[in-house]
Amino acid sequence: MSFTIQKTSSSAVVIRVGKALDFRNAAEFKAACQEHARQGVRYFVLDFSGTGILDSTGLGVIFSLYRQLTPGGGQVVFASVSRPVQVVVQLTRTYKVFRQFPTVDAAIQAQHAAQAPRPTGTA
Amino acid sequence: MSARPAVLVVEDNATLRRLLEYRLGKRFDVRSAMHGEHALQLIEQEPPDLIVSDIMMPHMDGFALLAALRSDARFQAIPFIFLTAKNDDLSRQKGLRKGVDDYLTKPFDIDHLIGRVDQIVQRSQLYQTKLNSRIGRDFSDKLLPRQMPVVDGWRATFFTQPKEDGGGDLFDWAPAGDGAYLITVGDIMGKGLQAKFYAFSFLSYIRSTIHAMLHSTVSPAALMKRVNEMLINDQVLEETFASLLLMRWEPANNRVIYTNAGHCRPILVGPTTAGMVEQSDLILGLDPTTEYTDYALEVPPDHALLCYTDGLNEQVARTGRMFGEAGVAEAARQAQMEDQPIKSLLSWMLQRSQNPKFEDDVLVFWLQRMAATAAKAA
Repeated sequence: MSFTIQKTSSSAVVIRVGKALDFRNAAEFKAACQEHARQGVRYFVLDFSGTGILDSTGLGVIFSLYRQLTPGGGQVVFASVSRPVQVVVQLTRTYKVFRQFPTVDAAIQAQHAAQAPRPTGTA
Repeated sequence: MSARPAVLVVEDNATLRRLLEYRLGKRFDVRSAMHGEHALQLIEQEPPDLIVSDIMMPHMDGFALLAALRSDARFQAIPFIFLTAKNDDLSRQKGLRKGVDDYLTKPFDIDHLIGRVDQIVQRSQLYQTKLNSRIGRDFSDKLLPRQMPVVDGWRATFFTQPKEDGGGDLFDWAPAGDGAYLITVGDIMGKGLQAKFYAFSFLSYIRSTIHAMLHSTVSPAALMKRVNEMLINDQVLEETFASLLLMRWEPANNRVIYTNAGHCRPILVGPTTAGMVEQSDLILGLDPTTEYTDYALEVPPDHALLCYTDGLNEQVARTGRMFGEAGVAEAARQAQMEDQPIKSLLSWMLQRSQNPKFEDDVLVFWLQRMAATAAKAA
């Protein structure tokens, strides 16, 4: 396992993917993501700085998370995408699905911006 | 991976069923079924590590259940114990002949049963790995065509080398009318037996879609859209993602109409150049509304279209980095003039690899239009 998860709000987490997300730790990654999704997290920032390996099993669990979240309006976004990860994203054309941000901070701010115009009068 | 082995009890007598659930439940994860048909439903949902079954039951008896399981590659390896009141030699012999792992007669000693279940589960876990790789090989064999289309002036060749622990690479072709062919190259995400099984089911989808739609459309993109919708809505193949190239090869027009769902981009290889065929759309299984596009590609004389799966571009070169598309393109350019281009391409890469073998599945399809003179001579 190389990833670490940090909760930034009740509905958002930042996952530092670390060196590798592949067949060796994909199941663990998936279980951790699902646990957070169950707890109501709807915004997953995947921090790919320094990630050297993202294989098809690893990409598969990210896709699963995406399929799980989108019906409820959740999002998976990428931040600090390393070159090896960028290659995979280009090949699979998944940049059409996962928004990319230059930094984790930018990704978090984007969530705040999206949430800003809240309807008034509700608790 | 669960620490407690899963045992399925099949027994029509409710009292005995409950007793078995209770006693076996102390050591194993127990589910129970009232008869063979019910058992098959539960096994489809989640195959157990072992089955303890009665013989005489309504709907489907123990022998029929055993036969159904033994004829299904997914379930044929599940250990099976008969626990029955039929204590005649004929039934016992029949049971043993059909390959049950044990035949216990009622009345029985529950501790003896627990001991046998324990023993058999342990032994079968030892063999499981071996069996997995054998079934995996079987799937790999069945995923691949035995021969290639033969067309004057063209050379269509194909090579594959699946790994036992590899993934779900697939390749297929079918005549598509008017002398054209529909070619499928793809990769199911994931590793191991599951990916192979999914690839096997997925290929059946593709084949049936092609078969059903071939009369109404010549567009690979229309087929791709349909395959994507089916993949997303399928209950069995849930959470399955696949990259796929669908190509309509029209030898008479010297062109290929293709659509690409996130698969490794084909490379158009000429005598001196090798360039990526850029256009591509989203990988399959993510978004049901994805639109796919047809692209037409002229294949000039003496050029080849190279299609492959990610075992090639993800192979690590001696530099410590993956070959990538550029590395594969370079290998293809070197191999283009050779008699056996795929063989040359692979050995060129291996000579420059860290590992003397390919680390993942290798699948290569090489479609070459021969030089004009050669075509006329042929």
